[in-house]
Amino acid sequence: MSSQITIIREDGTYFGFCGLACVGWLYQKIKDSFFLILGTHTCAHFLQNMLGVMIFARPRFGVALIEEADLSKHQPELRDLINEIQADHKPSVIFLLSSCSPEVMKVEFEGLAQSLSSAELPVLYVPASGLEYIFSQAEDSVLQALLPFCPQAPADDKRVVFLGSVNDAIADDFLQEAQELGIPVAGFLPADHFTNLPPIGPSTILAPLQPYLAKVAARLNRERGATVLSSLFPFGPDGTRAFWEDLAALFGKKVDLSQREKAAWERIAEHTEVLRGKKVFFTADNLMELPLARFVRHAGAEVVECSTTYINRRFHARELAALEGVKLVEQPNFDRQLKDIAQIKPDLVISTLATTNPLIGQGFVAKWSTEFTFMQIHGWAGVGTLAGMFTRSLKRHQQLGPLDDAAWTAGLMPSKRTIVKVEG
Amino acid sequence: MRLAYWMYQGTAHHGVGRIANSLQGVHAVFHAPQGDDYINTIFAMLERTPDFPQMTTSVVTGRDLAQGTILLPQTLQQVDEALKPNLIIVSASCSTVLLQEDLERTAASAGVKADILVYDANPYRMEEVAATEGLFTILVQRYAHEHIRTPQPSVNILGPASLGFHARADLVCLRRMMATLGVQINVVAPWGASLKDLERLPAAWLNIAPYRELGLGAAQFLETQFGMPALYDAPIGVKPTLAWLRQLVEMLNSLAEQFGAKALNMPPLTAFSLDGLSAPSGVPWFARTADMESFSNKKAYVFGDATRTVGIVKFLHDELGMKIAGAGTYLTQHKDWVREQLAAYLSNELLVTEEFQDVAQQIEQTMPDLVCGTHMERHSCRKLDVPTLVIASPTHIEDHLLSYRPMLGFDGADVIADGVYTSTKLGLEKHLIDLFGDAGLEYDENAPAEASQARDQVEAAPSAPASQTEKKDAAGPLVWSPDGEAMLKKIPFFVRGKVKKNTEKFAAERGFTVITAEVLRKAKEELGG
Repeated sequence: MSSQITIIREDGTYFGFCGLACVGWLYQKIKDSFFLILGTHTCAHFLQNMLGVMIFARPRFGVALIEEADLSKHQPELRDLINEIQADHKPSVIFLLSSCSPEVMKVEFEGLAQSLSSAELPVLYVPASGLEYIFSQAEDSVLQALLPFCPQAPADDKRVVFLGSVNDAIADDFLQEAQELGIPVAGFLPADHFTNLPPIGPSTILAPLQPYLAKVAARLNRERGATVLSSLFPFGPDGTRAFWEDLAALFGKKVDLSQREKAAWERIAEHTEVLRGKKVFFTADNLMELPLARFVRHAGAEVVECSTTYINRRFHARELAALEGVKLVEQPNFDRQLKDIAQIKPDLVISTLATTNPLIGQGFVAKWSTEFTFMQIHGWAGVGTLAGMFTRSLKRHQQLGPLDDAAWTAGLMPSKRTIVKVEG
Repeated sequence: MRLAYWMYQGTAHHGVGRIANSLQGVHAVFHAPQGDDYINTIFAMLERTPDFPQMTTSVVTGRDLAQGTILLPQTLQQVDEALKPNLIIVSASCSTVLLQEDLERTAASAGVKADILVYDANPYRMEEVAATEGLFTILVQRYAHEHIRTPQPSVNILGPASLGFHARADLVCLRRMMATLGVQINVVAPWGASLKDLERLPAAWLNIAPYRELGLGAAQFLETQFGMPALYDAPIGVKPTLAWLRQLVEMLNSLAEQFGAKALNMPPLTAFSLDGLSAPSGVPWFARTADMESFSNKKAYVFGDATRTVGIVKFLHDELGMKIAGAGTYLTQHKDWVREQLAAYLSNELLVTEEFQDVAQQIEQTMPDLVCGTHMERHSCRKLDVPTLVIASPTHIEDHLLSYRPMLGFDGADVIADGVYTSTKLGLEKHLIDLFGDAGLEYDENAPAEASQARDQVEAAPSAPASQTEKKDAAGPLVWSPDGEAMLKKIPFFVRGKVKKNTEKFAAERGFTVITAEVLRKAKEELGG
């Protein structure tokens, strides 16, 4: 069915972060880990600015800095750094992340990680360079690196493993919900500790919680024979209902959550009222665009464009089907988007950290898409938060009214001299 | 290879972005992987600009590398068509510079209307400050043309730029002072200048280049090429501002004589105040009030870029009467100048380092009463309980507040003095608390309050590796006896950490392993409490 869906593919000239961004949440999620990035000043500067390094006393991540003298070396020497990290942080696992420069230098990461690895402290290679991986995508690489450490589950162990990092509170919600529905749970990948990874085997059901983990899901299916749940992602009343009903079905249970869905929509009626008929434009950022667009569409909005950086027709099949008729763009061109935005005049633009303020400056109501990565919007408990995130900007701008004079932004853009009209 | 957690400077391409984002009709195009685009976000978030930052990443993917394709010409055409800039600056990134591509040729093949400058900013040799200064100098060299001098006395202000530390407020302050003097501003650059403005830089009588970090090279070029004199000092503090104004008037008057124009008069000092009737700065009187008596004993440590480190050390010492415990800079290329400027102020060697752990270690050793540094020092000092004032880049969202907070001029002197006053511990009230207890201000150490939790997190974190080595060198673990601890508790909480540390150092030196009340008393006597 989804093969009929048209996806426009552009040149990828848009704004976005590289795969190293995933360090920001994964080092906090996996509490006995250390993330070592083999990279340059650029990687360190990125992490410092985007992950707010200074507010953390001692981040469990750092950049092994490639400096000019290192460029001529065949293979980087990381042994001393590994020892330093081991002594200072005592992690159970070190993730060795690639970045653009060592990729260009053709550093042989697999062998490098192996040579640094020991039984007591594994060093796992994680491909994350901005040449290949965007934003949340590198979580997929981290999870793949963890696979060899997930015990093999026996053939008769039919339980669910939730796939994707969510905070502990959301994890508890999913655990409890599964128990109530009589679905046995083997664990979460990633778990909160490296030493606590779930067993995965041929009878395991993988339930993806995040929409950017297509490769690890496919690999687990291929290598361990695990079944990957194909459903909506658990965002919003619609997605959450489908997710649990489909998951239960894989355990031979017929569950009807229609009442629960209805009640959830009713609880967010004040939000859906605001969203009804509103034109929403997604410019692409964190790869959560497909389920977010599907939710906001079911909530009554008109999605005028849903752009995202990567679409997997198989992994995203159900979301794509639910978005039938919506303009879908992969690897969009921001310049083209701007022209379309000017023409369509959407009521709400969901856009990146780099472009949102300038869009507001042009008179649009715009919201940081990155915020969705860091909010508790999963499952039944997240419904209110999710809906509120879409309406908050609309309500706020409504409440404040439009900026009525160019004078209010005069002098803010360094390169621009605003000509302000003289009153009177 | 070293482990980097934090950098004092941004990358070369961040520096290129700062220049492009400052200039009118100029756009930077980075030939780089998607990840390098994060700098766009820094501009949009910190400066909260209502327009798009003037830079675009022409994305390089792994597939491009494998197939030998390059998006750059297409991106250049797109930027040219959509934004119609006069100049596009093309720059490689840390990864693409390794490919050793001929970007000149590729860029030329795009056939765009805009001028193109391929700026060779090798990120392995150049960081943010060198890249901004290098690029700005090149642009001034490229565009400045001989011009007839303005009939009235005029100056160019060189140096303010996008994401500069309090740059916008500094510029307001400089404009205010020029208006008071009756001096025209010919061009401000790079902030807000067009290429046409760069062309007419030589129309001004002289250049004001207050920052060592940006504008110095351009001013020097204009001096050699067009014989334009320049005022290179930074008016940080009241006395330097006065001297700076007088020198400016003198220089302009000597030019006026040469050009046959009317001489300027230095207006009364009150003319520089906001209402034209008051003291231009509160600092001279404030520093002499009884309130400030206790400041003369206070020791300050200063760490930052070149301009602010020098300016702040002199200000704290000369105008607030403080003692200087030490100073340092992360700008290795300016170390000689900083050292020379501060020769009379420092009793120990200037610290020159790009590693924050070195700074934290020196602060821990000197335990000053005030640290003026970057946001990193503010962070390092939280666990030492040393008050901090942020005086230098890298800028943080908190350096982009709405109110007028310059660092330069009379206005800047007041801003810095207020910062020092509100950051450091109190005067008379402190004596009262010192004598009689904690005035109920003490935190309950077991309280589960958010603030104390945050404090615990910070405290739980061992600081720099350096301080660990120091601990290992000590003669074994030191233990506080119950009476020692009880006595320590009686010391006001805000100096307790310092007393504890000093006493432990004292005990280790004297070979005590248990710190009793007696040892603490001895330490207080020896170290002057």
